[in-house]
Amino acid sequence: MEPLDIDLDEAELDIPAEPALLNVGPAHPAMHGTVKIVMELSGETILKADVQVGYLHRGFEKMCERGTWSQVFPYVDRCNYVSPMLNNVGFALACEKMLGIEVPKRCQHYRVILGELARMSDHLTCTGAMAMELGAFTPFLWMIKGREMIWDLMEDETGARLTHSFGRVGGMAKPPTDHFKEHAAAVKDQVLKILDEAQRLLLGNRIFLDRLDGVGIVSAEDAISLGWTGPCLRASGVPYDVRKAAPYMTYGEYDFEVPVGTTGDCFDRFIMRFAELKQSARIIDQALEMMDDEGPINVVDPRIILPPKEEVYSTIEGTIQHFKIVMEGLKIPAGEVYSYTEGGNGELGFYLVSDGSGTPYRVRIRPPCFLVTAGLEKVITGEMMSDVVPCFGSLNMIGGECDR
Amino acid sequence: MTFGTLFLLSLAKAFTVVVALSLNIAGLLTWVDRRQGAILQDRVGPERAVVWIPKRIAQGAVVGPAVLVAGGALALFFLSDAEGVTRTTRAVLFSHLAVFITWFTALVIAGRIKLRGVKNSFDRFIASVGDPRRIFYVGLMVHGAIFLSLGVLKGTPAGETLRDFLYGAGPFVFAFSALFGAGYAAQRFRHERAGFRLIGLLHPAADGLKTIFKEDFIPPGGDQFLHKLAPFVSFFPVLVLLGVVPFGDTLCFGSDEQGKIMLSKLLATVPRDGICPTSTLDAGSAVHAVRLQVLDFNVGILYFFAMAGTGVVGAALAGWASNNKYSLLGGLRAASQMISYEVTLGLTLVGSLMIYGTVRIDEMVRWQAENTWGIFVQPLAFFLFFAAAIAETKRIPFDIPEGESEIVAGYFTEYSGMKFAMFFFSEYVAVVTLAALTTAVFLGGWHLPFLERDGLHIMLGDKEIYAQPLSHGAIILIGVLAFVGKTVGLCILQLFIRWTLPRFRYDQLMKLGWRKILPASLVNVLATGLIILAIQSGGPAVQSLMAGAAQVTQWVIAVGGLVLTVWFVRFLLKPAEHRRVLASSSAQYAASMGGTRTARMGA
Repeated sequence: MEPLDIDLDEAELDIPAEPALLNVGPAHPAMHGTVKIVMELSGETILKADVQVGYLHRGFEKMCERGTWSQVFPYVDRCNYVSPMLNNVGFALACEKMLGIEVPKRCQHYRVILGELARMSDHLTCTGAMAMELGAFTPFLWMIKGREMIWDLMEDETGARLTHSFGRVGGMAKPPTDHFKEHAAAVKDQVLKILDEAQRLLLGNRIFLDRLDGVGIVSAEDAISLGWTGPCLRASGVPYDVRKAAPYMTYGEYDFEVPVGTTGDCFDRFIMRFAELKQSARIIDQALEMMDDEGPINVVDPRIILPPKEEVYSTIEGTIQHFKIVMEGLKIPAGEVYSYTEGGNGELGFYLVSDGSGTPYRVRIRPPCFLVTAGLEKVITGEMMSDVVPCFGSLNMIGGECDR
Repeated sequence: MTFGTLFLLSLAKAFTVVVALSLNIAGLLTWVDRRQGAILQDRVGPERAVVWIPKRIAQGAVVGPAVLVAGGALALFFLSDAEGVTRTTRAVLFSHLAVFITWFTALVIAGRIKLRGVKNSFDRFIASVGDPRRIFYVGLMVHGAIFLSLGVLKGTPAGETLRDFLYGAGPFVFAFSALFGAGYAAQRFRHERAGFRLIGLLHPAADGLKTIFKEDFIPPGGDQFLHKLAPFVSFFPVLVLLGVVPFGDTLCFGSDEQGKIMLSKLLATVPRDGICPTSTLDAGSAVHAVRLQVLDFNVGILYFFAMAGTGVVGAALAGWASNNKYSLLGGLRAASQMISYEVTLGLTLVGSLMIYGTVRIDEMVRWQAENTWGIFVQPLAFFLFFAAAIAETKRIPFDIPEGESEIVAGYFTEYSGMKFAMFFFSEYVAVVTLAALTTAVFLGGWHLPFLERDGLHIMLGDKEIYAQPLSHGAIILIGVLAFVGKTVGLCILQLFIRWTLPRFRYDQLMKLGWRKILPASLVNVLATGLIILAIQSGGPAVQSLMAGAAQVTQWVIAVGGLVLTVWFVRFLLKPAEHRRVLASSSAQYAASMGGTRTARMGA
């Protein structure tokens, strides 16, 4: 990349006739502080865009390798801070795959419901923020209202609103609360209602449709070669959804559809999330029906699950078991695994290597957002400067995941 | 009229317009915008801005006006002897005022008690009424009862007694209620200092003060002179624009031989036609007619367009002088957008000019008062004009020159402190100005249906259903209030639009301007011309048909306004709903600990 400050010292202002070089981000309001685009502009048209992803520099994969397996959960929370529950469950599933265990059915349903609610929160935030960045503030507030309801539920269940760190290897941190089922059903109903209102506000609006229609088209081949997954890929017409392609947990038992777009423009990516919200609601409906009210939530294995606190304080076995898991970490047999789930933005993969100690030897996360954001260049080249906003919004870049 | 009087009057008019209209309403708009931001970001919001004043001064500020109002009412009642106002009118007026101030005081006290808790036995008594809304309903019922009983008992001895009773008791009850409310408020100051908040309007003032003292940054590569000039160039036109918009009907008053102003003319009723009659005056005195309009211009709306057009220069200069590519883009966009929409803005009004036959804005309002509001004769032009006006104010959905998520802040990216505030403020004042102009040209300005210069005349066909003569001062005051009300309504409409609609793309905006709104306004001009021709050649039958239609619109406005008012009052009275699907655990915890809003804000 050439230096940008060549002509800063010139006292006279003149517009060069050659393409103007414009730095957008990382401090630009639409770039969320983590992405920078160096654009070559001819008038308002983008001739060339150099997208530079990953400005967070936390090194979270390295940090994951410093603690025990259970201590990874807070880090994966912060990868996608809009749907942390999906990341939690994804990491737990990867560890369970290495251990070769399967959590009880009740826990699987519980995880599915919480995960789908997190997906709803993710999609609500994305579509709302997309509308807001185009200037429509009211729909954003509407959708954030729905997200608040979901976060209230999450807070009730996990004790934390945003980074719940609620997953555990071999189950969940706590069994569901007594009123979980009615609460989840009510939240789902409310979100669907809000969705209707937002739909009327946005999809009946000519200005909004004009901003999205035919903008940032990505063909199916391009999307696949860019490594896109999730709603962005499906908007381009590829019906790839991990929940259908490689069903994990109880996803094979539910009846739901994978919505697929036709043109792969911003509007398709936008409407895809709306359609997926409705499918999520369907899944939650069925999972609530199938979930037992009673029964164990975690696997019964003292090497994996922490004993109840009263046992820790009253029995020597409990104390030892607690000590071993907390101080040394749970032991995962040596080996490696790649486990992938459907995150909020696409395939969320965990490549884990264990050397048999209580600490992960290597944690590598395949974040959907990094690959999707890397494709931004393809999306915006040839479009207008203003189109960066809906294009970038429709990709749903989450800064935490793009950290490289 | 002497030169001194003239000068003072002009100053007063300019002051009224600039302070009362643009600055206050623009301040309100700033406040509303800040509130919206606070809701989203969970900040405490603008109503927390506070000035602390000593207890005694606060008590004086509360009691003083009440003493003045009460004393003034009693003095007016006992000493003054206004002509033309009958005893009955005064009795009814004072009894209504008394009831109103009583229930309003009780309502405010009940509200405070609900917010701050019961402190003494009187509080307990008020709180025992329950919901403060009951006080409101009771007050309304008493008003109804007074009207009803006076109407039923009119002419009977019992009616006379009641009237005398109201005549005697009204002023005293009024004075007592005002003093009691003020005294009650004053004795509730428990601490040595009292917070003065002014419903949060201090916040914009504090913001303004703050921006003055902020660093004034000019980019090293920028043009120093133009960079400093730009905010003034964009601020000046919007401020002087309001000058030509009339905010009220012509005000009449007399002066005697010495040139002293006689305000008593304001309390008399003037005839419907003719601006200011001289017949009622003594010899040697003179009658003055003052147009409520700062600049009494005969080119009216042309001046408006000339000045509005210069606003773009400021934006373009700012974009150019900042030595910033975002600013440059913003400046270019601003220039092209405002020039395109300026054309439309002018063309949409051509139809109106053809119908009104004048470019004077006060003449336009007068035409609307005689016939019907402009929105009925030029419905298409109203919408086109309003859209173009929003584009002129550079706010969403037309805010591409500053589109914050695209080009940061557009042409004022490189501005800080008060210069930044001037750009923003010129935008807010432009919102008010264009709302005022829209009101004057399309919504009848100061006119309200059935309200003539000599009073209220409700007509059905040629038959008068109800007539109530009103004094000249009252008519003028109602007119000014109606104008301000319509303007504020349009401002709020613009705010709604600004928060709800997404932004256009640059090329889509241009397409809308040149390919849709501009041709539509041309078609509007053509259609207007054809219709005017048809009506003029139609003869008296068509003329009377038009007159009938005009009266129908008056009824539509009156009934619509009434419905809107009732709906608004109902909306205000509706209990606020805080719906939650299920209270979250922290909310449950807070509720179990007796958590309140104040506790949460203090945390």
